[in-house]
Amino acid sequence: MTGSHIVVDRLSKRYDTSTGAVQALTDVSLSVGPREFCTVIGPSGCGKSTLLAMIGGLLGPDEGSIVIDGRRVAGPDPRRVAMVFQDPGLFPWLTALDNVAFGLELQGIPRAERRRIAADLLGPLGLREFALKYPRELSGGMRQRVAIARALAIDSGIVLMDEPFGALDEQTRFLMGEWLLDVWTRARKTVVFVTHSLQEALALSTRVVVMTARPGRIKSVIDLPLPYPRDLESPEIASFRAKLWGELREESLKTMNQ
Amino acid sequence: MRRGVVLPRAAIVGVLALGWEITARSMDPLLYVPPSRVLPALGRLVALESFPYLPEHLWLTLREILIAYALAVGGGIATGFALGLRPGLGRIYAPLLGALYAVPSVVWYPSLMLLFGLGAASKIAFGFLLGFFPITLAVLAGVRQVDPHLVTVARAFGARPGTVFARVMLPSMLSTLTGGLRAGLALSVVGVIVGEVLGSKAGLGYLINYAYGLLRTADYVALVLVALALVLAIDGVAALGERRARRWA
Repeated sequence: MTGSHIVVDRLSKRYDTSTGAVQALTDVSLSVGPREFCTVIGPSGCGKSTLLAMIGGLLGPDEGSIVIDGRRVAGPDPRRVAMVFQDPGLFPWLTALDNVAFGLELQGIPRAERRRIAADLLGPLGLREFALKYPRELSGGMRQRVAIARALAIDSGIVLMDEPFGALDEQTRFLMGEWLLDVWTRARKTVVFVTHSLQEALALSTRVVVMTARPGRIKSVIDLPLPYPRDLESPEIASFRAKLWGELREESLKTMNQ
Repeated sequence: MRRGVVLPRAAIVGVLALGWEITARSMDPLLYVPPSRVLPALGRLVALESFPYLPEHLWLTLREILIAYALAVGGGIATGFALGLRPGLGRIYAPLLGALYAVPSVVWYPSLMLLFGLGAASKIAFGFLLGFFPITLAVLAGVRQVDPHLVTVARAFGARPGTVFARVMLPSMLSTLTGGLRAGLALSVVGVIVGEVLGSKAGLGYLINYAYGLLRTADYVALVLVALALVLAIDGVAALGERRARRWA
């Protein structure tokens, strides 16, 4: 399935913690079109992960709504939305292959069929020889690729990624970005990608959403109508970087001084 | 098993038996029996000469153990999950459970005999009581072991609570759970046999107590060896089950 349309309308979310209520999101409205690669960037604790969890249906809104292709999100719906987290969250007792097939299994697809789909995905991801390995036998980058393959396997129109490369070293991170771009160009899904890395946002996105420090609001939306692959040293990117950093710096300072 | 294990083990048993033989010969033959007298007694026991009804007694004990253990598994798993999955309930009851577990269990046995009589029921109750606690506590510990992130992942992929339970929780807690199940089995066996020794009209423990009471010391030791064989056989089956469960995970 290819790109779906996400409409987030005046979303608010509050958490009750032991030290009192925390306003995570305030009045967030956002529209992500089909086949967009939309990056959400902001200082830590700005509620970007909360926003993603809510689009994925893992959390319900206090106010506002999320509508995907005309239907309101009321809970996790893997037929429409797949998720990737910073912690790959692979099941340690399943092989890479069966981890990739996990979502298909929940959808009742027969074993032979789901293993075929999973194997077809692992090949191009450079994981063919690792299909029967367990997560503990894989490197961090491989684990995250397996987690991404698991999200791609269920063939939803939307893939949500919550800092998927956040736990990887910089070189691996860079290569994973290139790799993801390649996957996205071919699969043509709508991607919402949470990060706090400017480089990642500039290299990957068609659009960048900058969020404010807590309580999270949308500060600005910057379109990046540039072809891929991008030369991060080009003057065009440099000017976007300056603009983005200008927006982000203010919010990061606020967070730092809180 | 490899020779490197079997040989030293056989040597240890041999040395102990020899020491036993030498010591016992120098003592009162009514109270102390050397292996040279136990082995013939064991032979007569197995040939059903000394205790013709041994198989019936053994079968009764085995049934008591199986029923006690089945109840302990059912009750322990149900209680463990009931307390583990509802944090509020767990906070109230789990410390009570721990306190009960700390009381030496034998003190409960007289009241069980008063409640259930001298027959099989009080042995089953005692075997249940002993097996129940380690299983319950293992389930409680296992529930805490489950990585909440994996639960979130499963939910994101559309898993409903039943699926989360079967596909995430059970595999996560498997090693703790099987460990508790095995410990519970050992204690259920102890409960039943101790119960029989303390007061009963039938069963392996009854025979042990009977032989001991009549100062048939050689028969008594032979019966203890039979009990040992029974426990080893049951634990062997349990170890097999545990290994199989681990392979499944």
